[in-house]
Amino acid sequence: MVGASGQGVNSIGAIIAKGLKRSGYCVFGYREYPSLIKGGHASYQLDISNQRIRSTETKVNVLIALNHHGLELNMEELKPGGIVLHVTPGWQFPEHHQKLIAERSLRVIYFPVDDILDRLGARAILSNVLLTAFVWSMLDQDLDALKSLVGEKFAKKKALLELNMRCIDEGFSFVDPEQGRISVALPPPDTDFAGHLLITGSQAMGLGAVHAGVRLYAGYPMTPSSPLLSFVAELENKTHMVVKQAEDEITAAQIVSGAMYMGTRALTATSGVGFDLMSETLSLNAMIENPTVFVLAQRPGPATGLPTWTAQSGLLQAANCSAGEFTRCVISVSNSQDAFDLMPVAFNLAEQYQISVIVLTDKQIAEALYTQQPYDLETAEIDRGRLVVDPEKLKLLKSSDRFDPHAKSGVSLRWLPGSEAATYCAQGDEHNSMGAVDESSLNTKSQMEKRLKKFHGLKAGFPAPHLSICGRSATTTDWMDTGDEIELLAIGWGSTGDVLQDVMCSDELRGAEDRLFALHLSLAAPHRRTSEIGHAVETHRPGGAELSGAVGHAHQDGMRHGYPG
Amino acid sequence: MNVALQTRPPALSEYYSETKCIWCDGCGNYGIWTAVKYALVELNLHPWQVCLCYDVGCNGNGSDKIEGYRFHGLHGRVIPFAAGAKLANMRIPVIAFAGDGATFSEGIGHLIHGVRSNYPITFVLHNNTNYGLTTGQASSLTPQGQSMNTSPNGIPEHTLASMELIFSLNPTFVARGFSGDIKLMTRILKAAIQHRGFAFVEMLQACPTYNHFATHEYLLNKYFDANADGHDPSNLQQAKALATQVQDRIACGILYQRGDIPHFYDRLIPRQGVETTCVEEVRRYDVSKYWKELA
Ligand SMILES: Cc1ncc(C[n+]2csc(CCOP(=O)(O)OP(=O)(O)O)c2C)c(N)n1
Ligand code: SF4
Repeated sequence: MVGASGQGVNSIGAIIAKGLKRSGYCVFGYREYPSLIKGGHASYQLDISNQRIRSTETKVNVLIALNHHGLELNMEELKPGGIVLHVTPGWQFPEHHQKLIAERSLRVIYFPVDDILDRLGARAILSNVLLTAFVWSMLDQDLDALKSLVGEKFAKKKALLELNMRCIDEGFSFVDPEQGRISVALPPPDTDFAGHLLITGSQAMGLGAVHAGVRLYAGYPMTPSSPLLSFVAELENKTHMVVKQAEDEITAAQIVSGAMYMGTRALTATSGVGFDLMSETLSLNAMIENPTVFVLAQRPGPATGLPTWTAQSGLLQAANCSAGEFTRCVISVSNSQDAFDLMPVAFNLAEQYQISVIVLTDKQIAEALYTQQPYDLETAEIDRGRLVVDPEKLKLLKSSDRFDPHAKSGVSLRWLPGSEAATYCAQGDEHNSMGAVDESSLNTKSQMEKRLKKFHGLKAGFPAPHLSICGRSATTTDWMDTGDEIELLAIGWGSTGDVLQDVMCSDELRGAEDRLFALHLSLAAPHRRTSEIGHAVETHRPGGAELSGAVGHAHQDGMRHGYPG
Repeated sequence: MNVALQTRPPALSEYYSETKCIWCDGCGNYGIWTAVKYALVELNLHPWQVCLCYDVGCNGNGSDKIEGYRFHGLHGRVIPFAAGAKLANMRIPVIAFAGDGATFSEGIGHLIHGVRSNYPITFVLHNNTNYGLTTGQASSLTPQGQSMNTSPNGIPEHTLASMELIFSLNPTFVARGFSGDIKLMTRILKAAIQHRGFAFVEMLQACPTYNHFATHEYLLNKYFDANADGHDPSNLQQAKALATQVQDRIACGILYQRGDIPHFYDRLIPRQGVETTCVEEVRRYDVSKYWKELA
């Protein structure tokens, strides 16, 4: 679906996606749009299969153009035998497109949206429903299923509902006068998918955060982190969470820090330069050993860059930005599965080590629509680390327990304001065990070492990166068995992981199953060492897979269980 | 404010900290520090029942000179941190302290939105009319033309009208104290901590080391207790006039208070009727009911 922003490209995509998913297809929705509200050129691509798919193809079978710009810009993307559906009256294809139509045997259908709308006395906005219904009939799908889907949306608006239903009837029964009825054969459905969710990465992350016990969310809008803010806000009356749109990112980060210091679980998300503004708070949290989780939704380009496009460009920013040195953890989500699963993991790690955890995502994950198995709600644990809440134990505490430099792994006991116990100071200046300022070299050394020591515990607990052979999960033994046979090892992290999986499973690579490996990393810091990855690849040694700070694919490797307790 | 009933009342000594004070002789911070302890004890609060948040500056160096759950953070940022802490646990009084540099320069946006949001916290401004800790630079509250550390020819900017700004933000509590009058400060702080909303408390603070224009003696001669003079804090116009007209005499005391405006937390629809705090609510949630619409 292509057209201008504001024409409803997304709503057509979303409704067809939901309908097809309910019919038993795995759909993957991918959105592209420029940073403007009306106009420009936007697209919504749906990939449809009866098998698991996790990304988009670059070529398409059907192009639905809501304006002639879409025709001008996207014709090249059609596969041979493809269909062009457009709504531009009297459109004359330029010569090079006529050639393309002939060469690739494309079928062109003009759908007279305006005429039908006139006849129905309906407003232009309903062209989406007309088109959706026509596409629905092309896909040989059930009329009533579409009606009930649209009905759910307008259940409360009777008058609108009736008009929508008439549009569905009209669109569904439209037959092209020249080409007759057109049918696009889909493979047989797999009913398994019918029970799945259709979810964006942002929604998955929001649900994961709520599941993990997050009770306060503060954020400032910045694409591609904004959908997460909107989603938690949308849910606030149901979750009873405190959701706060802050005046800036500094505020959001500080509110979250204050809330975490007090003892709840709180979250913020931002992108690029917004994270720059939060980095002072990151440093502060390291000094006061305050657990926090930041979501960094990466965007390409420095400064404002390319706000609505995707890239994995924030890795070094997340791993390195700070005043001074300290232990932090950077994990990156790869899809809607671990966007959910990694939220409890992030909070557990933050509390276990009393550090900041930065969760990387990007626009691809934030806005892509995934066909997602309902989440497992039984296994995630809430691990609050060395938090003391028992009244008897609280009474035994000394102020100096809070930042005790002798604490094992550098992680000392933590207790919350309001606890009937000895009090302490969460001190941004270098401080002694109870939080009083102490700038002596001896104290500085022991406190710095205490905070850096957490790195070792954190690192030691991570499982090896996930390895797969042509989409199948592999063990390091599989790797060893292949000896020198590895022809291609593709290494990815974050959203590229799923693309790699799809590439490895593609028809083009069939037959090469045993020689193509994908290595996927979800953990970016504590400092990953590229030299170690390189070494592992060069020697093909399974031992090499135990990379410094590298972890396996969360949902397949059981990352949750692999973390240190 | 809602803390557990105590059988044993708190003593001033509970707030005693072994960390030595490091302020200059005659610094106004000693007085403010003492008044804070008195106010907390008189409100029947033990150190473990309060959360004291400090900004960076000479005032912030008080963070380890008192007991209580304390936080000492970043320059200019104490208000949002304190607000976050309070929203997480509404049962604990949260008091934030900051200098005039932090409040009206580095963190002025936070102040504006703090008052505007009416967060249920107490904010204590240590106004020594300069940057103390960085050795006497001008703040935006230093009188125009005054020569300071980095402005040998006198600062060119005009002085920020702090109280006009505060009153433009529809505050719900405005008070002013003087570091030389501990009794007055104690009374103000007690009322501020009990206030339901953002309590803005300015403490005029002597800084004998860098402030030679508004000295302890100068302030002593000019300040007066407006409440003792019959000022009614519910009178907005009078409060504003008293707060902003400081040429001849400086009005102190509780200048303005409104208790009928709901504070930030009270306005949160999702929290209405919820008895627990966000801190108590941390657990694993079944989110399947939230994904129904995604199926
Ligand atoms: C981000 C940042 N910028 C600058 C500083 C340096 N600094 C420390 S205290 C201070 C000013 C303190 O003045 P004020 O807030 O009025 O407090 P006072 O020392 O007078 O009590 C500055 C600029 C800092 N700590 N952090
Ligand atoms: S510089 Fe001023 S404010 Fe700072 S300690 Fe000395 S007298 Fe007090």
